[in-house]
Amino acid sequence: MEINRAIVATILLSCLAASCYAITFSSLKRTLDLDASVKAGQVLKAGEAKITVSWKVNTTYPAGTESSYKTVKVQLCYAPISQKDRGWRKTVDLLKKDKTCQHTIVERPYSASDNSVTYTVKRDVPTATYFIRAYVYNAAGEQVGYGQTTNAEKSANLFSIEGVTGRHVSLDIAAVCFSAFSVVSLFGFFFMEKRKAKASN
Amino acid sequence: MEVSNGAEETYQKKFALPVDSEHKSTEFRLFSVAAPHMRAFHLSWISFFACFVSSFAAPPLLPVIRDNLGLTATDIGNAGIAAVSGAVFARIAMGTACDLFGPRLASAALTLLTAPAVYCTAIANSPTSFLLVRFFTGFSLATFVSTQFWMSSLFSSKVVGTANGVAGGWGNLGGGATQLIMPLVFNLIERIGATQFTAWRIAFFVPGLFQTLSAYGIFFLGQDLPDGNYSQLHKSGDKHKDSFKKVLYHAVTNYRGWILALTYGYCFGVELTIDNIIAQYFYDRFNVRLHTAGIIAASFGIANLFSRPGGGILSDIVANRYGMRGRLWTLWIVQTLGGVFCILLGKVGSLGVSVAVMLIFSVFVQAACGLTFGVAPFVSRRSLGFISGMTGGGGNVGAVLTQVIFFRGSHYTTETGITLMGVMIVCCTLVIMLIHFPQWGGMFCGPSSKGATEEDYYLSEWTAAEQDQGFHTASLKFSENSRNERGKRVQPAPTPTLATPNAYV
Repeated sequence: MEINRAIVATILLSCLAASCYAITFSSLKRTLDLDASVKAGQVLKAGEAKITVSWKVNTTYPAGTESSYKTVKVQLCYAPISQKDRGWRKTVDLLKKDKTCQHTIVERPYSASDNSVTYTVKRDVPTATYFIRAYVYNAAGEQVGYGQTTNAEKSANLFSIEGVTGRHVSLDIAAVCFSAFSVVSLFGFFFMEKRKAKASN
Repeated sequence: MEVSNGAEETYQKKFALPVDSEHKSTEFRLFSVAAPHMRAFHLSWISFFACFVSSFAAPPLLPVIRDNLGLTATDIGNAGIAAVSGAVFARIAMGTACDLFGPRLASAALTLLTAPAVYCTAIANSPTSFLLVRFFTGFSLATFVSTQFWMSSLFSSKVVGTANGVAGGWGNLGGGATQLIMPLVFNLIERIGATQFTAWRIAFFVPGLFQTLSAYGIFFLGQDLPDGNYSQLHKSGDKHKDSFKKVLYHAVTNYRGWILALTYGYCFGVELTIDNIIAQYFYDRFNVRLHTAGIIAASFGIANLFSRPGGGILSDIVANRYGMRGRLWTLWIVQTLGGVFCILLGKVGSLGVSVAVMLIFSVFVQAACGLTFGVAPFVSRRSLGFISGMTGGGGNVGAVLTQVIFFRGSHYTTETGITLMGVMIVCCTLVIMLIHFPQWGGMFCGPSSKGATEEDYYLSEWTAAEQDQGFHTASLKFSENSRNERGKRVQPAPTPTLATPNAYV
């Protein structure tokens, strides 16, 4: 009897655990309305530009919807054109495996009043086309709702970010100098070799 | 301890290791750095290691590079193919350069000329520039040829398989080590304060500097031959400066070189392909973390520490008893088994078994590389460099072919591609059965019944006029020293007569 109960408990617990990780995007309701300061087609510079995002629960949903919301996470997500031929940014319905949104704008405890952020685009955000999406999580850390600045097809209201190149003038100079040094060394070697051969005779 | 028995020399040179009549070392002492033999060994494997580190420095950092440069999967695949295709012709050119200028200058020159490509990776800014730097950096893989040529020039036939295998294997190790080194360097630089997209660029100066320094080491500390460098020996008349056309002719008309070029494509070529695709395979199929996939990928390359040398040593051990026929049989068996495990690798569906099969596969495929270069030094004496270059180049052709046929686009899933590649390995390895040396035999036939000797075979590369001028003396000594390729089991073949030898194909 004890063993049976233990087995049942284990099965239930693992179902629960599994369900934590089996949430699909298509099962989520779009309960949030997002408002962002970025306009469609705008090009922002990484490291400099600022984006202001605010979110609130859509009024068409009943008043108690947000009672289960404990955390909110706002992210920059890749638009389809930046996902093309790039499997590492693939959209997968199973949220655990979804790679659409890789850059976090803000993650904080959910509160109806504290619902806006001004974000300076980080320097590690690459050049691509984006939209903004926010997920809300319950106490168990599961996604229970979302909102996004674009439509369901992810074709409207997209904007671009221009990433930093990572190049610096000092790097350019160093690369050229070291390269020149290598080639000049080679000529030096040939010259020395010729002299040694002549001298040994 | 034997000392040089070249009584015809006007001076006695004392070597730290026992040598034969060509002053090639008859022993391989791993922990010695005695000049010229073991010192050259250490210099050549270290510089080849550096070139492998540079050529495969990009794959482990791709998650950062692909975002910085906006690369697509196609761009990455093309760059991977470009990285191994440059060396196809570079290896052949390198073989010729070794024949004409000596391995010391040839490898120092190539290493220094490709270092700029590594430094300029730091300033790449588009998919095209990324492809170009990977293409030109890949040329440095031709230092493989100078490594094998150098070992074949300094070590006698008893230990040449071992020397070639260890030098080649420890160089190939770079392809695995880089999967661990580059992320480490990148993290260090990031921690010092650079942003991601700058840190990876700075990281590339490490392999670049390593290459430049190893070239300096080779030039100042290395020596082409036991008796001196090519330039000195050419000037003093001790070494005849050969003609490019003749070297080319004798390499291209020797069918054994072409067969080895084909089969090398299905051990070494396959190894390069796996270096490029295996991390992604484990990441996608088994959903391991990228970090874990990198470690698995590194372990494939790191098996080279013992597996390729093992192949070379095995070649020498088998030759001691069974001669060249033993070398050929062992090569065929080991490479075919490599193909079988490759077929299995694509079929296995669980992570643990897959890693185990991959490791077994790596041992067989890398040992086959070592075994190939237990045979290659005997195919030609005059055109040793060119044959080494052709075989090496064939390896890279195999890498290009397998990546283009099986791992480009989405025609095959990666696991199907791996299995089909295994089938191709087994089929293409069959041609080893066609190799036959008149003086030693082949897999199925014994030596030629006409009583051919080693001298007949190697001196047929020189015309009577050239022999009158004494250009063939090195080949003569080599013929004598290679007599242990007859093995111990067979009746001794006839000893050479003083008559003009027959020409043998």
